[in-house]
Amino acid sequence: MKRALLFVCAMLLALTALAASSNRKEMSASTPVVHSSDPDTMRTLGEQRFRANCGRCHAAPQKFPPRAMATVLRHMRVRATITDEDMRLVLFYMTQ
Amino acid sequence: MGLKLHRQYKKPRFPRRLRRLWSRIVGLLLLQLFAPARGHSQNPSTPEKPVPILSGTAGFLTSVTAGQTLLDTQFNPVLLVPLGECWLVESRGEFEGEFQHQPGGSFGGPVNKHLDYLQADYIANPYLTITAGRFLTPFGIFNERLYPMWIRALQPDPLILPIATASSDGAMLRGGFPLSSAANLNYAAYVSVASIGIDGVESERHVGGRAGFFFPGPRLELGGSWQKALQDDRKNALGLHLAWQPRAVPVSVHSEFVRSNQGSGYWVEGAYRLSQLRFWQRAMRRTEVVARGQQFFVGNISPDVADSLGLPGAGTREADFGANYFLKDGLKAVASYGRQWSPAGNFNQWTFGIAYRFLLPLGREGTP
Repeated sequence: MKRALLFVCAMLLALTALAASSNRKEMSASTPVVHSSDPDTMRTLGEQRFRANCGRCHAAPQKFPPRAMATVLRHMRVRATITDEDMRLVLFYMTQ
Repeated sequence: MGLKLHRQYKKPRFPRRLRRLWSRIVGLLLLQLFAPARGHSQNPSTPEKPVPILSGTAGFLTSVTAGQTLLDTQFNPVLLVPLGECWLVESRGEFEGEFQHQPGGSFGGPVNKHLDYLQADYIANPYLTITAGRFLTPFGIFNERLYPMWIRALQPDPLILPIATASSDGAMLRGGFPLSSAANLNYAAYVSVASIGIDGVESERHVGGRAGFFFPGPRLELGGSWQKALQDDRKNALGLHLAWQPRAVPVSVHSEFVRSNQGSGYWVEGAYRLSQLRFWQRAMRRTEVVARGQQFFVGNISPDVADSLGLPGAGTREADFGANYFLKDGLKAVASYGRQWSPAGNFNQWTFGIAYRFLLPLGREGTP
């Protein structure tokens, strides 16, 4: 049992570490749009990510004040395990 | 004596060399994991400074089950307190009054209080969040994501909901990250070590995990859950889940399947927003129709134990149909009809009610 637990934990750690390292490479090469300063692009991407992630469970809520929305998004990041990138874009979309 | 001797000469479960290797592997992986936290950003969660908020759901339901009327009043406050740039303390309580017609003529019944979760989350890096405290068990999707009244499309619980979804007291690792431009992976691994035994915060000892693959293109999520009890019969529970929102039509499909010692079953639910209809568009945009089919198969527990867990005592099939009308943001009126077929008896269930989601910032609201 302990061995199985250790194995599962090690696999999870390996998976996240792998994703961390591969994503660092990807970020510099293939995802300039995420860090784009173009508000229209970010808003469009944010809406897409909102519909894909948040729409899986509930309808679109009204837009709350930015600091309240930041808390909601932090909560949803944990609850719905949405990615860091998706959370940033959705927050931009919901607060603009 | 023979057993003792056997134990003396038994090889240790983790030889020293293996232990050293394990610790090196885990150490290296931890270094890898926490490295991006330093380099990624000083602000890994949000550009806005978050403010504490009080949110939650309040609702009132009237249901008529097999001719018996139940007035169900629910209040589920959620408190979210962000601390610094990487921490979040969150909690949800449940207050539920279930009032039935008493012999004297009036309505009366218990008011149940329950602490669903009280947890501290540390966002270690973009791929890992560490949670400690009392948390909702990530088994399937209904318990964690679809449970609140303002979110669920049908108010009656799925029959299999009580399986492997008791709150956990312990620690959890979870997160989500893109595997490629076409797929994201989300995961959760947890251990519940405490069994406090206090009424309202009871828990059990178990270990488990959930993983899901989300494909943003077709908006499809597929995943599986596993849980092993560390007490009583130490049985396993396995689950599968699906969530799908096709792009062509405003339909939302959810489904879960569970197999466990306590019972097995599945439910499939589809909700259709009538926004595509060309008449009465203002009203149709706010209307959603829902249908759910489900089946439960009894496990290796007695009907009394099943009843105490909230599970049916016999094999059961159920079909539900409902409609939701979104009056305004966070406020919806709900109605549903369901019929249950079981060797214990067939019956109808009608539900009408209203659900409201509120949100109150507990601090300055604007951009700092």
